[in-house]
Amino acid sequence: MPRPAGSRAPGARRDPALLATVTVLWVLLGLFVLFPLASLLARVLLDGGRLSLAGAVAILGDPHQLRALRNSLLLASLVGAAGTGLGFLFALTATRAGLGRGWVAALDAITLLPLISPPFTTAIAMIFSFGPRGLLTYQLFGIKGFTVYGLGSTFASETLTYFPIAYLTLKPVLAAIDANVEDMALSLGASRRQVFGTVTLPLAAPGLANAFLLLFAASLADFATPLILAGNGFPVLPTQAYLQITGLFDLRGGAMLSFALLLPAFTVYLLQRYWVSRRYYVTVTGRAGAGTSVKTVAPWVRPVLAALCLAVAAVIAYFYALLVYASIVVALGANHAWTLRHYHVIFTEGVKAIRDTLVIAGLSMPLGGLYGVLVGYLVARKRFAGRQAMEIVSMINYALPGTIVGIAYLIAFNEPPLALTGGALVIVACYVFRYSPTGIRATVAQLQQIDPSIEEASLGLGATTSATFRRVTLPLILPAFFAGLAVVFIRSMTAISATIFLVSINWTLITVRILENMTELSLGPAAAFSVLVVAVVFVVMALISRLLRAFRAPGVPSLGSVIGG
Amino acid sequence: MSAAGVRVEGLSKRFRHRVKGDLWAVRAVTLDVGPGEFLTLLGPSGCGKTTTLRMIAGFEEPDAGRVFIGEEDVTRLMANRRSIGFVFQNYALFPHLSVFDNVAYGLRVRGVAVAEVARRVGEVLAMVGLARYERQQPHQLSGGEQQRVALARAIVIRPRVLLFDEPLSNLDATLRVHMRGEIRRLQKDLSITAVYVTHDQEEAMAVSDRIAVMSEGAVVQEGTAEDLYHRPASAFVARFIGRANLLAGRVVEAGAGVVTVAVAEARLRLPTALPSSVGEEVRLVVRPESVEVQAEGSGGAGDIDGAVVTRTFLGEKVDYQVQMGQHLLLVTRSNSGPGAALVPGQRVRLRLPVESVRLLRSAE
Repeated sequence: MPRPAGSRAPGARRDPALLATVTVLWVLLGLFVLFPLASLLARVLLDGGRLSLAGAVAILGDPHQLRALRNSLLLASLVGAAGTGLGFLFALTATRAGLGRGWVAALDAITLLPLISPPFTTAIAMIFSFGPRGLLTYQLFGIKGFTVYGLGSTFASETLTYFPIAYLTLKPVLAAIDANVEDMALSLGASRRQVFGTVTLPLAAPGLANAFLLLFAASLADFATPLILAGNGFPVLPTQAYLQITGLFDLRGGAMLSFALLLPAFTVYLLQRYWVSRRYYVTVTGRAGAGTSVKTVAPWVRPVLAALCLAVAAVIAYFYALLVYASIVVALGANHAWTLRHYHVIFTEGVKAIRDTLVIAGLSMPLGGLYGVLVGYLVARKRFAGRQAMEIVSMINYALPGTIVGIAYLIAFNEPPLALTGGALVIVACYVFRYSPTGIRATVAQLQQIDPSIEEASLGLGATTSATFRRVTLPLILPAFFAGLAVVFIRSMTAISATIFLVSINWTLITVRILENMTELSLGPAAAFSVLVVAVVFVVMALISRLLRAFRAPGVPSLGSVIGG
Repeated sequence: MSAAGVRVEGLSKRFRHRVKGDLWAVRAVTLDVGPGEFLTLLGPSGCGKTTTLRMIAGFEEPDAGRVFIGEEDVTRLMANRRSIGFVFQNYALFPHLSVFDNVAYGLRVRGVAVAEVARRVGEVLAMVGLARYERQQPHQLSGGEQQRVALARAIVIRPRVLLFDEPLSNLDATLRVHMRGEIRRLQKDLSITAVYVTHDQEEAMAVSDRIAVMSEGAVVQEGTAEDLYHRPASAFVARFIGRANLLAGRVVEAGAGVVTVAVAEARLRLPTALPSSVGEEVRLVVRPESVEVQAEGSGGAGDIDGAVVTRTFLGEKVDYQVQMGQHLLLVTRSNSGPGAALVPGQRVRLRLPVESVRLLRSAE
């Protein structure tokens, strides 16, 4: 919980600038967070003006939909477990295998790839590899009639896509374990394995639980991977909700299906925020042993760990290489002649999607960055009525699966008085309120490390609140601002689950076009689009990262470490 | 628990430094700690004392040299096979285990029976004065209590050797004094061999049978606290143990076992085992409390002129800086009641008693 500056901070009543800012933010939060959610709930729960659960019961009682719910939970549990395991393997290797700094940087880089790509990139590469004309199954091994679709491939693809989140969560947890504590256990006579089992693992347990919950939520909300890979035999809720709306034009049915996701998603969020986060062990005071080498991993295990990580990294690298390859050959699996035809296609027919996406991402980025810093600052530093409520409400769209948010926006903004669908504004709003919470959290974390007395000194010297914010606080929280910018931009370029409900003839997105290409089996343009997205995101990331380094204050998390959250 | 000595022979450890390249953190350290003896490694930070201790524990592997516990060569043995008790500066308590489970850890991994574990844990917790703390979690304890848990955890396994790495530096001054007394008492009661690392000379003098002063990776002098204080072998030891005046002098007369040294306007006849030649530059170590000082004209035996420059009142004693020729001499006198003090600007007569002056070669 962020600590407010205390009773010394001026309250809203005596500070008109604060009052105005808080009011504007509440209007925006009401409009773009609470109103859509309320509209969704009303659509689900109200029947002809009366509260009724009949509709919900009917659709959820349908054995087919019930199966989708069960599948969703099964998939999320599997991805959560396997992704956490893989993330732990990588974190253990990075912190315990005695790898050189360069190797750890390489691990970080390769795990960053899935985080900055559209969420279905791995799924596409799976189709290229194992699909009907797959490079591996059909071309290499000549297997005909191999079906890639189903639980197995969806599970594998989501695990590879989301395990970096577990890695980013677990690496600092493992790194924070005082090496002296492990040394101590060793000196008391425990074997390496005993130290690992009785000290290392128990201390990492809260991190493992957290990673599992994060991956569970990510998989539960993932819409694009199942749409590409799950096939008809393995329906999951987000895709069912999408098909209900786009295929059957049944908005209420889709709303109800997405609503079924709400309960598990909300449970996970509460567990993660209020249960796991309090179980991290307090680091005992004092200087940790300097230059202590960690001995819990036996020398012969280190190369094994490194080799396992290398194998996984190789798979990721292969998938991305395949994506590039597919974008520069005529037809992967049929005609491997070089061509730039697909790039020509996306820069002519597809140029509108590119332009729209860049405009929307370009608008969302500064707005989201500013909004994140503002809310983070107010929540961490100011005292005003409803401060905690603001913090919670600002996190809602972030915690909800994208499908729910998208359908809620569709319901809320489809008709007067707020008929916004079809425009760019609704997509921008969706991105800002859904992806800025990373910036909010980064700002809060940054401010918690800055003594409030620094701001009080400015006030004491006669500066107004807004001048203090501009001249003192803002420079100090610039790193969090850049991190917020980066996340909003990356997600605006790559997200699909919410905005697929909000695109129109007027405004469309690259990710939506990729999905369309995939369903039309024009794999070349899909690959070219994907490569373009990754390239753009990479360039912007590098730029922001450089800016961040220029302004970097001690103790600021690196860009990579905030993206996963 | 049978006390075993610790012997370290030619122990060396190299570290890679990012700027300075390869660095010998520990250079050919040889130590011999008798059974039941309390030896302290004393030195400034970065002198290699902690690295030496960690090599004795088995947390670091030496690049050269050997470690013996009793008669056993343990150099290649992992820490978990050495039967040592280690107390860390930050205590390194297991944050996920209760006080009882922390202390019981070493017994459980040894497969000690449940009833025996309970008995022995209860016993050592009583010994360190934490009898009713079994169910507490480490973060609920104060620094001093955490320290006691760390101590109990180290001794419960009945180690052959107890190793301490600056165990008191996270405690406040009063508690530090109290705890060092307790550590010494426990070590004596259990008669365990102990190696203790600190940078605090007073702490070292208070707990140790013997002190090894380290500098830049090597042991520069070894001995009892009194040895080191009265007979420092080098300017470094003289400055590190207590406070010292280091005065430059010149040999004006050299005889058998006796030299005469000119310092300021005085001529001091000093006994020495070192062969010296006339004209040689030497240094003299004079402790502040052994300088005799009296107000001029009070009829004292002082033979050197001086003038008081500053006076610092410290309660039980008074520190003076006295100008003596080109030297600024630190002189300390016990407080002999109100009104008896010298004042700045006052002319004084000084005497350096030859029995408490230590002669050093200029390079030492």
